[in-house]
Amino acid sequence: MTKKTTRRDFLRRSAAISAGAFVFPHIVRPSALGLGGVLPPSDRVVIGSIGVGSQGMSNMRDFLALRNAVQFVAVCDVDTDHLTRAKETVDKANGNKDCRTYDDFREFLEKEQLDAVALALPDHWHGIVYTEVINKKVAVYGEKPISRTIEDGKTIVAAAKKNNTLWQTGSWQRSQPNFHRGAELVINGRAGKITHIEVGLPDGNRGIGTPPIQEVPANLNWDMWLGPAPKVPYRGVVHWDWRWILDYSGGQLTDWTGHHVDIANWGMGMEYMTPVEIAGSGVYPAEGLYDAPVEYDFRCKYENGVTMRVANSSRLELGMGTTWHGDLGWIHTDRNGVLTASDPKILDEVIEENEIHLYKSDNHWQNFVDCVRSGKQPIAPIEPAFTACMVGLLGEIAMTTGQTIKWDPEKQEITDNTRASRLVGRPYRKPWTLPTV
Amino acid sequence: MKKQYLIILFAVITALFTACQSGDVYKTLILTGQGEHNWKYSSSALQQIFDEAELFKAEILNTPAQGEDMSTFKPDFSKYQLVVLDYNGDSWSDETKASFVDYVRNGGGLVVYHPSVKAFPDWPEYNEMIGLGGFNGRDETSGPLVYYGMEGVVVDDTTEGPAGAVEERADFEVRIQVNDHPVTQGLPVRWMQANDVMLTNLRGPAKELQILATNSPRMMYWRRPGAQPPKYFPVLMAINYGNGRVFNTVLGNVDDGSGVAMQSVGFIATLLRGAEWAASGSVTQEVPFDFPTAAGPVIRTGFKAVTLDEAFNRIGSYETGSSSTKYMTFIRRQITDAAGDEKTLLNLEKKMVNVLKDANATADAKKLILRELSWMGTDYSIDAINSLSSNPELQEMVDFALTRLQAN
Repeated sequence: MTKKTTRRDFLRRSAAISAGAFVFPHIVRPSALGLGGVLPPSDRVVIGSIGVGSQGMSNMRDFLALRNAVQFVAVCDVDTDHLTRAKETVDKANGNKDCRTYDDFREFLEKEQLDAVALALPDHWHGIVYTEVINKKVAVYGEKPISRTIEDGKTIVAAAKKNNTLWQTGSWQRSQPNFHRGAELVINGRAGKITHIEVGLPDGNRGIGTPPIQEVPANLNWDMWLGPAPKVPYRGVVHWDWRWILDYSGGQLTDWTGHHVDIANWGMGMEYMTPVEIAGSGVYPAEGLYDAPVEYDFRCKYENGVTMRVANSSRLELGMGTTWHGDLGWIHTDRNGVLTASDPKILDEVIEENEIHLYKSDNHWQNFVDCVRSGKQPIAPIEPAFTACMVGLLGEIAMTTGQTIKWDPEKQEITDNTRASRLVGRPYRKPWTLPTV
Repeated sequence: MKKQYLIILFAVITALFTACQSGDVYKTLILTGQGEHNWKYSSSALQQIFDEAELFKAEILNTPAQGEDMSTFKPDFSKYQLVVLDYNGDSWSDETKASFVDYVRNGGGLVVYHPSVKAFPDWPEYNEMIGLGGFNGRDETSGPLVYYGMEGVVVDDTTEGPAGAVEERADFEVRIQVNDHPVTQGLPVRWMQANDVMLTNLRGPAKELQILATNSPRMMYWRRPGAQPPKYFPVLMAINYGNGRVFNTVLGNVDDGSGVAMQSVGFIATLLRGAEWAASGSVTQEVPFDFPTAAGPVIRTGFKAVTLDEAFNRIGSYETGSSSTKYMTFIRRQITDAAGDEKTLLNLEKKMVNVLKDANATADAKKLILRELSWMGTDYSIDAINSLSSNPELQEMVDFALTRLQAN
């Protein structure tokens, strides 16, 4: 299945496919300048970023921290302040003034010839941009959650499968030793047969009321930022804080399922298994612009009998993180290196050579670069990321409708529930449409 | 034989009467009349809150004024199922004190409202009933400082010092610490109280005391190394005293004149739940839709809860930014709660369609309604939605709604 692919294969392949349709203004590859790095310049991954706000810049810094592994050549954002900042960072790293800037991802994709693209956009843009980027047949480092809706996610995943996209999700917890160790202990039965998983995610954000309508700052293309989401006047809530508004995000819930539910599934070997039944309730702010649930608590049932409770951390005994409950005890893992168990001896267990060894990566961004060079599958592929995201999205539908949702994993649809089925997608504002695969 | 029938008839009537009394409405006495606070306002506010809930019938009794003869003050507590203390003043007569102790000890319900934690510093039984108190000369001899520490453990701190401190008036976060108690079951774990004065450093015998909720001085997720561990001071307390139950709330300070703290839904709803528990041992009230969350406090102007009719009356004039969003939140909650009940859902849908048809309803209101109908609507809505498609302001949301409705 995994065909060894080199970067040159990538280039050849993408060039062959797109040569007829696209102009290549940058024939001299910037990496050929070879800035005296450890690696030959031809091995440097040529990369561009779409979305260079806080998360996009954080990823850029993590990539740049890998000495001479990547060369950024182009950045794209709807906020020119972001572009200026990103270009400064890239130019400084490259020792030149050549980083190209775009305020429209379509122009970026038309003009740029890259090995890889890093994506960090608000969730409501994922359906369009992720799919278009995948269709360009480049390797992708894409932020979680995979999508705002189930429909968007299905399209993105279908496109990635069709294009055999080399994909790394920004679920970097997989590259942290405590999460890896916790998941490996679980998958090798050190907590016994797991029957129940508890996943604690952050409580929702403080509200801000409804701020007055403001003039859109000159640096921001507000209409483009909104994109497929309903048109609303600008109220000063944009970068970062879009997370608390349901038009753009499912809140902490759908954001963080991409981390802790992903880890839960990894340890269960359930990375490709979606729940079949979802029920629960959410607490929504009564007042203000922010409408994402601030508390939530729902249960998922899986075909194999396993149950998973997903709740805001204040409701759970062990708070944030993933807890697997098995017939021999529990194992809990969370950020800041947390790895605990009902019996500390579990944590001393040795995983023998003939047992299951989960994919190991010490650095999430290096892993991506290594895979782009080798053609190997990265540690956080797209489908498991969507599986994790789906838990949050189905939970959201269960909470909105107040009903027990039945999901058919084969057909990838909600069974016998018209109202809930309408919530698997969100109609796009014209002229935007979800791209075809 | 006849006599037996009469006895049975009498018994049935008595049983029915008792059932009506205890099952429907709790006879409640609000006891006030003295204090540094505006007790005239607060006691009347309490009465409105209790009467609005339709679970209590509250009457107000004022003690003699400060300095006057207290020997005449002899209420018959046994007539009530619940006594609410809104009092911080002169000591009562020994006889009245004894009768009050008997009332609680024999199973009477007691709610201790904010200023009352200051009252009666030298009355040992009272201090036991309220669990923790402060001010008026209380100090370490009154008992330990009791609070939750960083790790969610109750600390009995015997350090010397005065009992009772006052935080600056502010919105502050309340954190439920015990969520399987009837009073707190089902409430959001973290929620905002509006414009209130937090009382901290309370001390007392703390016997049979459960701290149900505390304030929440900071986010607990990122535990910064070297940071002083925060103290989570009690906000809501449940105390068992003899056969009686006591609910002690330090929320609802009235002294700013606006009464916003008392109109805060967090205060109102926990007061009513605490009162029902004190009177009966259980809580039948549902968590109201407007119960606040960590996202922010919620106010009930005039202490009144939103009704369905009111929500639909108010939604028509909705303007984003200047109107409260709570009426739409209320309607959404009705839809979620009606899951599976097609009759109720159709009724809600009809009311929503009426807003669409209402020429006086704002575009912002219709946009909200269209969004909701997009997923919960039936064929009933289609014509009304279509008829809005010529309105350029609504065009986009009409498309949004029809796309969803017609896809499934």
